[in-house]
Amino acid sequence: MVLSWLSKTPKSDLPLDVLVTPPLVTTLAVVLLPFAGAVLAPFAVRFAGERAGYYAAAVALVCLALVARLASFGEAGRGTVAVEWLPSLDVVLALHVDGLALLIAFLASGVGVLVFTYSAGYMHDEPGLAKYYATLLAFMGSMLGVALAGDLIALFVFWELTSVSSFLLIGHYTDTASSVSAARKSLVITVAGGLFMLVGFLLLGWTAGVSGEQTYVISALVERAPEIREALDGAGLFLPTLALVAVGAATKSAQVPAHIWLPDAMEAPTPVSAFLHSATMVKAGVYLVGRLRPLFLPESLPHVGNWTLLLAALGLLTMSVTAILAVQAVDIKELLAYSTASHLGLIVAGFGFAEAAGAEAGAFHVLNHAAFKAALFLVAGIVAHEAGTRRIENLRGLRHDMPVTAAVATVACLSMAGIPPFSGFYSKEFLFDAAYETAHAVGGAAWMFPAVAVFGSVFTFVYSAKFAMLFWGKKPDALGHVHRPPLAMLAPAVALGGLVLAITAAPQAFVDAIVGPAYSATVPGDAHGFSIPALKLSPPLVMSAVTVGTGAVVYQAYDRLHDGLREVLTAQPRLRANIWYDGAMATLPWLSRWVTPAVQTGLLRSYAASVVGATAVLALLGYAAAGVALPVPTSVGAGLTGAMAVVVVVAVVAAVGVLDAPSHVAGVLTLSVLGSMLAILYVLVDAPDLALTQLVVETLVLVLFLLVLHRLPAFYGDADRGRVVRDGALAVVVGAAVSVTVLVSTAASPNGALARYLSERAGLPTDHGSVLVDWGGGGNAVNVILVDFRGIDTLGEISVVAMAALAVLTLIRMRDRGETP
Amino acid sequence: MSSPEDRPRSPYDRRTTVIARTVTRLVVPITLMTAVALLLQGHNLPGGGFIGGVLTVAAFVLVYVIFGVEYLVDTVNASGDRLVGAYRALFAFGLAVALVSGLVPMVLGGEFLTQAVFFIHDLPLYSELEVATALAFDLGVYLTVVGALLVIIAEVGYE
Repeated sequence: MVLSWLSKTPKSDLPLDVLVTPPLVTTLAVVLLPFAGAVLAPFAVRFAGERAGYYAAAVALVCLALVARLASFGEAGRGTVAVEWLPSLDVVLALHVDGLALLIAFLASGVGVLVFTYSAGYMHDEPGLAKYYATLLAFMGSMLGVALAGDLIALFVFWELTSVSSFLLIGHYTDTASSVSAARKSLVITVAGGLFMLVGFLLLGWTAGVSGEQTYVISALVERAPEIREALDGAGLFLPTLALVAVGAATKSAQVPAHIWLPDAMEAPTPVSAFLHSATMVKAGVYLVGRLRPLFLPESLPHVGNWTLLLAALGLLTMSVTAILAVQAVDIKELLAYSTASHLGLIVAGFGFAEAAGAEAGAFHVLNHAAFKAALFLVAGIVAHEAGTRRIENLRGLRHDMPVTAAVATVACLSMAGIPPFSGFYSKEFLFDAAYETAHAVGGAAWMFPAVAVFGSVFTFVYSAKFAMLFWGKKPDALGHVHRPPLAMLAPAVALGGLVLAITAAPQAFVDAIVGPAYSATVPGDAHGFSIPALKLSPPLVMSAVTVGTGAVVYQAYDRLHDGLREVLTAQPRLRANIWYDGAMATLPWLSRWVTPAVQTGLLRSYAASVVGATAVLALLGYAAAGVALPVPTSVGAGLTGAMAVVVVVAVVAAVGVLDAPSHVAGVLTLSVLGSMLAILYVLVDAPDLALTQLVVETLVLVLFLLVLHRLPAFYGDADRGRVVRDGALAVVVGAAVSVTVLVSTAASPNGALARYLSERAGLPTDHGSVLVDWGGGGNAVNVILVDFRGIDTLGEISVVAMAALAVLTLIRMRDRGETP
Repeated sequence: MSSPEDRPRSPYDRRTTVIARTVTRLVVPITLMTAVALLLQGHNLPGGGFIGGVLTVAAFVLVYVIFGVEYLVDTVNASGDRLVGAYRALFAFGLAVALVSGLVPMVLGGEFLTQAVFFIHDLPLYSELEVATALAFDLGVYLTVVGALLVIIAEVGYE
């Protein structure tokens, strides 16, 4: 069943009664196809070997075509579609198509095509190709899921799936310790952040429920943004919710101080770094910021509200700190990793500003950064592959051996540095504009915004220049012969370089086609038109000029700056966020050494006590919480015959006798007397089936007890008073819980209707043909209930019996094999 | 596992009396017959797969206790592991029987675990015989219970 919501799209010129909705099948196919491709990837690797990269590229190409088809519907194809998922819990799988979703989906599938092609060349002679392609395809599906998720819960699920696939890809070389620890670091940080985000999402859903209908559908939440903000404010939850969601975005997008996982993640094969850790996965965080911007940001500006204070400040801080760290990097991939964090900071800051120019900066830089940074990563992979080193100090003058790669790198670096008229210049101009306008309107401390933006950009210029200079100047003799890259590796890099040039040449065309709709999706209320301003003397242009000028001067002292920064960081290790992470990780084993012996005593009786006690207490608390009245049996004496009274008295005597039994064997035998008396009682109240079962089971249990007992010590020693009291209390609580349960569950007798139905239906009807289906056709109603009316219950019960046997088998056999830790 | 050479003089002695052993020899077949009877008559009279299964296991336990584990192992001429393997196969088979007996009605267009009753006429001796498909399901229950409990007892008994 398909539901659809009427989604109000900004700038929509459609009449409101037209149901705007993207085609469900296409939208679902975009998300599900890569997962199907991932399942088939091992077969592709078996048949095609290293050429399986082209198979994966083909899957990505189909996804790209589907995304293009979704985009081709224009305004009519925007909105939310949903498939029922768990109708009983009101959970739906909602997919949402709008400009922002399409931008990210284009990046995920488009860069995917290039990266898979590149992998076919790069992953030559590498181990684990099946795992590699399957995980990478699954990642692409998860990323498309993040982009198209129309529901916060679905978004969270896909979000964590990207974290998991990133973990597997970073840890691709499972034999390398650094690779394993990097994978773990990324998982710990991003998944922990994701959990914060989930709490934020739940608060949002709950708030929506307070002010109206509960929902997790993003478009429905955004439509009701003002009332939800009001409800959040009323509950004092606005800032906590915003902060929780921001923690999720910041960890995913490597914002300070969670940026530390990104440089380590460079342990992954370079195509993975290009795909996950520059173009797509790390964009999930900024995507979330953009996605929820219209929800948290009021339509009428206070120039600096909570949103701006939190996100613009965080973004600008990250942008500056990681740009400085990029200058001290010694490895080209490390430089690119810090630079990625820095540019993500720029995007977060852009979305953080309330100004329209800020959103323009954010949306445009998502595209620009993906293009130039993915190109640079592919270039870095080519350099490492062909020159055999990634050390910055060893690399120079590579243009002689790889002219095409040098051209791509130069174009990409010019864009990254924000040199006019290259593409990165425009998005940086919008950021400067937003920072300047905010400062101009607010004044005072807000002037820090443009100042920090320029400060960070200076370092961006410096490391961009350094990266470009790898290809220029004189080639050092130590470098030796450098091969030309194979076409499969060169072509994707050239394609991305070409994309940078295309955006540079016609920025307005790209804005109109892709960036503009993405921008309007991040704006609360109606978005104004988005156009690239003509180059004229304005405050942002002056800021750019200052950046480039200062950067050019600072670059002259690059070596001194690089060494100086490294010295400071070595002398003051506390400045590195890593030290805090390592400390926290070292605390965990210490904590486990302290907690584990307290919980895992290794004594069966303490486990039994906690399990039984907890069950009993929870049951009693449950009755108390539900306000169950304790039914008082009124007719105790009715139907009690003399024989029954005798049996009950013997049972009680046996029960008391168990407590005073001189040995285990005597205790078990006395207990068995109690059980047999119960069986006789069943006979007396006309329940022969129960009596039979009780007798046989009693016999079996007795034998089992006796088998086990001769292994136990005959005498445990005198119990101390404390233990007697504790065990006695536990026994009383468990006994009370069972008694109350029996009283409560037998009190509600459905006045015989059920029994009448069962006893009528169980037997044979007086007139019958040769086949009966509706009737049990058995004289024994109990058994008919077991095998017919409640047959599925019985199936479940015998499965449990079988599982118990398997558990015993495994436990005993495992102990023999010494597999216990 | 004991080999013929190092066995004691009377291999299954185990300090049990002649009386106990003789009675066991008489009682075990009767118990097993009763168990099967309980399984078969369960639809109309007290009994059923579960009770029949537990009673069967009780008979086995009697053999285990009186004659010892080795007796059964030697009688069926298999190793103890193979014996447990057979028990394990038994409950797996039992689960499969129960499941299939539930699936067959689905193939015939009914719901999962629908049970029917057939009446076969004109049989010698019986004249009319009532056959409940529930018996197949009950047989699955019986086999599962027997297999699972025997696995547990054999494993614990080895200890």
